[in-house]
Amino acid sequence: MSSSLSLTGKLLVREWRSGELGILLLALVLAVSVVVGVSSFVSRLQAALLSESARFLAADMVLVSRTPMPEVWSAKAEEMGLRITLGMGFPSMAVADADHMALVSIKAVSDGYPLRGELQWSSEPYGTILPGGVIPRAGEAWLAPRLFALLGIELGDPVFVGEAELTVSGAIRAEPDATTAVFGFGPRLLMNTDDIPLTGVIQPGSRIEYRLLLGGSAEAIEAFSEWVTPELGQGQRLDSVAGSQPRIGDTLDRAKGFLLLAGSLAVVLAAAAITLASRRFGERHTQYVAILKSLGAESGYIAGLYGSSLVYMGLFGAAVGCCLGWVLQEAFIQVLGDLLPVQPGAAGWQPAFIGVVTAMVCLVFFAWPPLRRLGAASPLRVLRADIGVAEAQRPLDFVLGGLAIIGLMWWYSGSALITAAVAVGLMIVIALGFSVARLLLSGSKTVGGFAGSVWRVALAGLQRRGRASALQMVIFAMAIMLMLLLSVVRSSLISQWQAQLPPDAPNHFLLNLAPEERQSLQDFFALNHIPSEVMYPMTRGRVFSVNDEPLPQWEQVEAEDAPRQREANFTWSDELPPGNALLDGRWWSADDESSWVSVEEDFAKAIGASVGDRLALRIGADSFEVVVGSIRQVDWQSMRPNFFMVFPRHVLERYPGMYMTSFRLPQGQKPLLNELVKVLPTVTIIELDIVIREMRSVVDQVARALELVLLVILLAGGLVLISGVRSSLDTRLRESALMRALGARRGLVLGALWVEFLVLGGLAGALASVGAEVAAWALQTQVFEMSWTPTPVMWWLGPVAGAMIVGALGVWSSRRVVSVPPVVLLREV
Amino acid sequence: MIKVSQLLKTVPTADGDLDILGGIELEIEAGMSAAIVGASGSGKSTLLGLLAGMDTATAGQIWLDGECLSDLDEDQRARLRAEKIGFVFQSFQLLPALTAKENVMLPLELAGIAGPGPIAERFLTEVGLESRLEHYPTTLSGGEQQRVAIARAFAREPRVLFADEPTGNLDTRTGERVINLLFELNARTSTTLVLVTHDERLAQRCDRRFAMTAGALCAL
Repeated sequence: MSSSLSLTGKLLVREWRSGELGILLLALVLAVSVVVGVSSFVSRLQAALLSESARFLAADMVLVSRTPMPEVWSAKAEEMGLRITLGMGFPSMAVADADHMALVSIKAVSDGYPLRGELQWSSEPYGTILPGGVIPRAGEAWLAPRLFALLGIELGDPVFVGEAELTVSGAIRAEPDATTAVFGFGPRLLMNTDDIPLTGVIQPGSRIEYRLLLGGSAEAIEAFSEWVTPELGQGQRLDSVAGSQPRIGDTLDRAKGFLLLAGSLAVVLAAAAITLASRRFGERHTQYVAILKSLGAESGYIAGLYGSSLVYMGLFGAAVGCCLGWVLQEAFIQVLGDLLPVQPGAAGWQPAFIGVVTAMVCLVFFAWPPLRRLGAASPLRVLRADIGVAEAQRPLDFVLGGLAIIGLMWWYSGSALITAAVAVGLMIVIALGFSVARLLLSGSKTVGGFAGSVWRVALAGLQRRGRASALQMVIFAMAIMLMLLLSVVRSSLISQWQAQLPPDAPNHFLLNLAPEERQSLQDFFALNHIPSEVMYPMTRGRVFSVNDEPLPQWEQVEAEDAPRQREANFTWSDELPPGNALLDGRWWSADDESSWVSVEEDFAKAIGASVGDRLALRIGADSFEVVVGSIRQVDWQSMRPNFFMVFPRHVLERYPGMYMTSFRLPQGQKPLLNELVKVLPTVTIIELDIVIREMRSVVDQVARALELVLLVILLAGGLVLISGVRSSLDTRLRESALMRALGARRGLVLGALWVEFLVLGGLAGALASVGAEVAAWALQTQVFEMSWTPTPVMWWLGPVAGAMIVGALGVWSSRRVVSVPPVVLLREV
Repeated sequence: MIKVSQLLKTVPTADGDLDILGGIELEIEAGMSAAIVGASGSGKSTLLGLLAGMDTATAGQIWLDGECLSDLDEDQRARLRAEKIGFVFQSFQLLPALTAKENVMLPLELAGIAGPGPIAERFLTEVGLESRLEHYPTTLSGGEQQRVAIARAFAREPRVLFADEPTGNLDTRTGERVINLLFELNARTSTTLVLVTHDERLAQRCDRRFAMTAGALCAL
């Protein structure tokens, strides 16, 4: 065995020099590094996503209660190693003087707030954002910018909340939990919890929400959640990160899907490269084995020799791959560095484990079969070189390998859909590939018969190696397909993201606009050259029964997804709002007198309603009944005003309501908001520009990460193409050398090589386009939930790029045939 | 030492089975040298492959040093080769990954013989390659490569040495030197030598000569 090991070492060193082992090892290292890199990065991205989500809660978890929480909860949380901070929220009146008062949404916070994310503030309304890490001190208050105009006060002026007098010391610009901690619809007034007793607003029956913000390790959060859940009573709930939905979550989620897809494709490509390299390695070693057997080596020795070669290579490849994978994920982190708000946690050992398993699967299922077959090589080859080489892989090897790779992709991506889409695409390419190859390559002899001599030589060569040419074409097609597929999915993801955030997208919402104020607003917009958008009427109402079955009140329902009464903003429209899609039912016509309603799909689920159901509604003191005419899907990422319930104009028109709209205000015109709130002091303005800027930066940086991944996959694809070209190199070199020895011109030999590889590459590219289009359809519609459009560019890019790349690689790899004397080549191969 | 009885080798072809060897009878005593001569395609190499246990016969028996090859499986025949058989091939068949010394050590290691290094050095010295121990085959001339192959064949001190056209790839002078070396070592180690050649002069140096014609063997 020691001689076997020393021979193994020598063989490996020798093969490394010859370059064949290099490709095998490179493919292995590439597979492991991409898998380790992508899965480490995805783990870290997941951690970052959680932090990002936590930012929208201002904590990792929030305990919400309508009554003061038992002190033992805070004590227990601290005992479990969690950081805590207490907050309160309630609607109240803020009074500047007898003439200036406003209904505000008060939020009281204590030291440590926010535990996640950042509280942005400025010293004057719409002024420069100041460094975070501070909250209003006791005796101070920060106001939403429009409150300054509404209350007619400036910095340093007093403002009264209940019985407490507070000094205005800042303007709130952005709160991390603005979307999850809503205490009424008024503009925000932020104060310190220490001042709450002075206000005297805490009375029996007052609508106060108590919030205990918790931050800490995932384990501690989980442990506290388990401890506190059984303690929760009516009107108490636990808000976790999973429940909050940051807008960028969807973008990052799709990016994660893309990365996992890319990682899976890398595995397939690497497996293909390993198969080809190993096949050639095996073919070149048949003579070695024959000599060893003639000298008395038994089959166990041969198996040990090549088995240990693979083990060495597996260990080396996995170790190097893991290291490179770590470097790769660090590169991803660097690219996305600014995006991730907190340093993402360590990825742990899971990615390395995945990498080692990938290496093992690749070696056992793809590299080992050709080497195992070496044991069956006849020692007679030492006497008769014409004894053929056994087929390196048998159909069963391909079937087992295919199943292994599907299993690996599934385990790795965690998505049956991604796996199925890629597998179906590949199967189409393989099936079509072998049929087309058989058809065309059998016909090529006829073409070759009357074509010029270069074509004749080339096509006859392709046909002579019919089976190998078909396999080569299918492998090229698979590699090109996967590269095309990833490019297409990447482009459509990025363009969809960018379409969601067009440069002229509205970046402010305006609410609470009285009907008689609409003209003033339009005049203001016209005066300041602000393009105006549609104004939607808006009335607040409640659904209290479905088909005469009363819905329970929110507090009476324990189960998270049980139907319950819901309050929502109602609007009317005689046309389906833009960006909405009908899922069920139909839209009414403008002259339809019936009382219809169109309900958003999730809202319909929440109240347990479907098309044809009768809903009893209440607006103010009035009750009325409508029939569900349709269920709609709403694009919540669209930055347009969206509504849960839309009615025909005649149903809602008679109820008093306010209007809402959106508008775009460039950064330089920000001070106009002060003017606007002076003109229309009762309106509420929601600034979305900060969120949009953040989303745009996320999209830009995620796009850069995708470019990086695409580059790695193209590298893997290139490796497959090189391996594919090299798989038939010996035969081609021998034939070409013989042709030259028999007097063929250099131009004829080179020309024939060009034609052979151009034909193979072009056909492979055409097949790849078909497979990529099918897989792209499946991925876009089923995995990424995007609309599918055909990619015409792929239909010419596939064949042209395939022909050019395979042609160039093929001729480059075979260049020795014209640069080295034929006699030298014939001796070598 | 070697006994062949009613040996038949048939291969399937598109036109039906083709007899390559038919009813071969042969006996070579221990320590003798025998030459098998014949034209290309007469079946010489096929017979050599069968005698060395590298191929299996369609019918008939081969005994080598008392062991019936048809009773042995492939691994047992490989073990027999490792223990008792040496080879010299027309195209040398050295492993390009190994140095001259390592090539000679290889059969010794395969047979589990201790201290293969000094033995290999001794035999390479005997064939005049003491200064080429660490050279790789590609850096050696054809004659030198064949001398490495002879050293490799004798290092194991085999009971039988098969040589397949040992001078076929060498010029006349180099071939002459290689053959002298082969017979010299053969005489010194009392190995049974079976030589396949179409070189009449070479055949003349053997104790016994057989002619192979269209798959049939006859003593000359």
